[in-house]
Amino acid sequence: MTDKMETVIKIENLVKAFDGRRVLDDVSLEVYKSETLVIVGGSGCGKSTLLRHIIGQLRPDSGKIQLFGEDITRLKENQMDRLKKRFGMLFQSAALFDSLTVEENIALPLREHTKLDEHIIKIMVKMKLNQVGLRGFGHLMPSQLSGGMRKRVGLARAIALDPEIIFYDEPSAGLDPVVTAVVDKLIRDLGGALSITSVVVTHDMNSVFRIADRIVMLYKGKVLQIGTKDEIRNSKNEYIQQFINGTIEGPMQFFAPDEGYLEELTK
Amino acid sequence: MNILQAIGRATLNAGTAIWDVFALFFNTLYWLLFAPFIGKFIGRRYIFQQMVFAGVQSILIVFFVTLFIGIVLAMQGAYQLDKLGAVRFVAALISVSMCREMGPVLIALVVAGRVGSAIAAELGTMKVTEQIEALETMALNPVRFLVVPRFLALLVMLPALTIMGDLVGMFGGYLVGVYNLKISPGLYIKTNFEFLVAKDVMTGLFKSVVFAIIIAIIGCYQGLNTKGGAEGVGRSTTLSVVISFILIILADAILTGIFYFANV
Amino acid sequence: MVVKDRKVGDAIVLEVEGEINFNSSPDFRKAFLKVLDSKAQKAVINLAGVAYVDSSGLATLVEAHQKIKSIGGKLKLASLSPKVKSLFEITKLEKLFEIYATEDDALKSA
Repeated sequence: MTDKMETVIKIENLVKAFDGRRVLDDVSLEVYKSETLVIVGGSGCGKSTLLRHIIGQLRPDSGKIQLFGEDITRLKENQMDRLKKRFGMLFQSAALFDSLTVEENIALPLREHTKLDEHIIKIMVKMKLNQVGLRGFGHLMPSQLSGGMRKRVGLARAIALDPEIIFYDEPSAGLDPVVTAVVDKLIRDLGGALSITSVVVTHDMNSVFRIADRIVMLYKGKVLQIGTKDEIRNSKNEYIQQFINGTIEGPMQFFAPDEGYLEELTK
Repeated sequence: MNILQAIGRATLNAGTAIWDVFALFFNTLYWLLFAPFIGKFIGRRYIFQQMVFAGVQSILIVFFVTLFIGIVLAMQGAYQLDKLGAVRFVAALISVSMCREMGPVLIALVVAGRVGSAIAAELGTMKVTEQIEALETMALNPVRFLVVPRFLALLVMLPALTIMGDLVGMFGGYLVGVYNLKISPGLYIKTNFEFLVAKDVMTGLFKSVVFAIIIAIIGCYQGLNTKGGAEGVGRSTTLSVVISFILIILADAILTGIFYFANV
Repeated sequence: MVVKDRKVGDAIVLEVEGEINFNSSPDFRKAFLKVLDSKAQKAVINLAGVAYVDSSGLATLVEAHQKIKSIGGKLKLASLSPKVKSLFEITKLEKLFEIYATEDDALKSA
C-alpha cells in the first residue's frame, strides 16, 4: 500500500432509504490515493447504490461524501461537473453510445471537455485503445463487439481524460473467467503503472482477491468489515466466511423455513 | 376513503409529471438559447442527423397521407357542394381546410407516431442501458446532448413537412376536381388560391410549431424517464404516442378556439 | 507551462517548463508548429523542467514526431526526469523517440 495514505474519498455516516427501506445504513469508509478498494457484497446489499452516491448520481438522506476534499452533497451542478472530469467510470453494461463508433465513444469526452486539436485526439484514441489491448477496433460499432470488448472500450473511454479515480461497477458481470482475468489485469495495470485510484464494486470473489488492496464487506446496507485481503480471508465474521466460501449454510438465509409449508399447501 | 386516497395520489403524480415536463421544456430552451453564449455549442452533426430522420425520412408517408386526404376531402366536398350547384368551390374548401386544420394536425399525428415514438424508444433504451447515466458521469448534460438536437430538428422539420403536405393535399383535390368533376385546371387553381389568405397558412404553421414542441418534449420526457428494462421501453414508447396524440388534439382545439374568437 | 525556443547551430531547441497536460498541450503544440514553419531540420525538446506529461502531452509529442519526419527532419527529446521517462516506457513510446540524457548529447547526435 502507499506510504503517505492520502485520502481521496471519505464517506461519513451515509444513510439512504428507498420507500422507507434503508439501503445504506450508516456507511463510513475512506479510500486512499492509488489503492484499489473493492466493495463486496451480495445482490441488493447496497454496493451499487453506494457507488452511485460517490459519483454524485444519488443524494444521501444524511451523511457526508467527500471527493477530492470537497463535500459533494453540497455542490452545485457546475461544481460537480468540474469534479466529474477528474474521475472515470466503467458501467456494468459498459454503456457505450450505440450510435457512435468505438473511436467516437472514446473521443467524446476529449472533444467536449478539452481544446485539443482533432489530430491529437485521433492519436490519443489510438493510445487509449492500445492500453486496453484493442488496437485496430476503432472503426467498429459497439453492437459489433463482444461483451468483454465492450467493457474494455468502456474502460478506454473512462480513462480518456486521464482520471485520478476510476470506478468500476461489476466489471466481471457477464464475462467468462478468462475475459474476467483480462479485465482484472487491466484494472491492476492502471492502478499500478499510472497510480490511479480504483474503486471496484463486485461480488466475484476470485476477482476480489486478484485486484484488491483493501476490501469493504457490505451486508444489508451496513459495513461488516474493512480490511486487507488477509484480514478478510481470516475474518471471524460468519457472514463474511459464508460469502467468501459461497456456502448455503450460514447466517444468511436463502430458503424459507420448513415450518408451515405443509399447512400452506393443504389450506 | 381508499378511492379518495387513490384519486389524491393520482392527482399528485400527474401534477409532478406535468411539472417535470415543463421543467424539461424550459431546460431545453435554456440549452438551446443561452448555452451557445457560454461556449457550449450543440453539435451540428447531431442536429443534421435528427433532421434527416425526423424530416427527410418522413416525406414519403406524409406525401401519401396528405394526398389521400386531399382526394377524400374533394369527394366528400363535391358530394355536399353538388347539391348547391357549387362544385367548383371544392378547391377553396380543400385549400383552406388543409392549411388551417387537416395539414398541421394530420401530419403532426403521423410524425408523433413515427418520430415521437422512435425518440422515446431510443432514449428509453439509452436510459435502461446506463448510457444516459454515462453521459452524466462524463459531465455531459443529456438535455443538451440528446433533447436539444431532436427538439430543434422537429421544430424546423414539422412546419416544413406541413407546407409540403398542404400542397400535396391540394394536389389530391386537384386530381379529383379536374379528372372526376371536370372542372377546368385553370379555374380549379384560381379557386384554390382565391379564398386562401396568408393568415390561413400562418395559423396552420403556428399550430405545427406547437405540435412539434409537444412531440419532441413528450417523446424525450418518456424516454428519459423510462424505468425497468425492455418492458419499460415499450411502455414509454406507447405512452409517448398516446400522450402526444391527446395533447395535439387538445392543443388544436385550444388554438383553433383562440384563432376563432380572436378573429385571426 | 512555459515554452522558450532558441537556435543552436542548425537546430532549434524548445525548452519546456511546467506540466504538459490537457490545458497546456494546445499551447505546446502551437510552439512546436512555429518551429516547423521555420523549416528547421532538427528539433530538440528539452524536458528538464517538465514534472509530468499526461496522455494529451504524449499525443502532442507523437504528432510533433510525425510532422517533423514528414518534412525530413528529426525530433530529439532530452533531459527527461525519471517520472516522465517511466511514462514513456509504460506507454511503449520510448522506442519511437530518440531520447538523450542531456541537451548537449541531443545536439551532438546526428
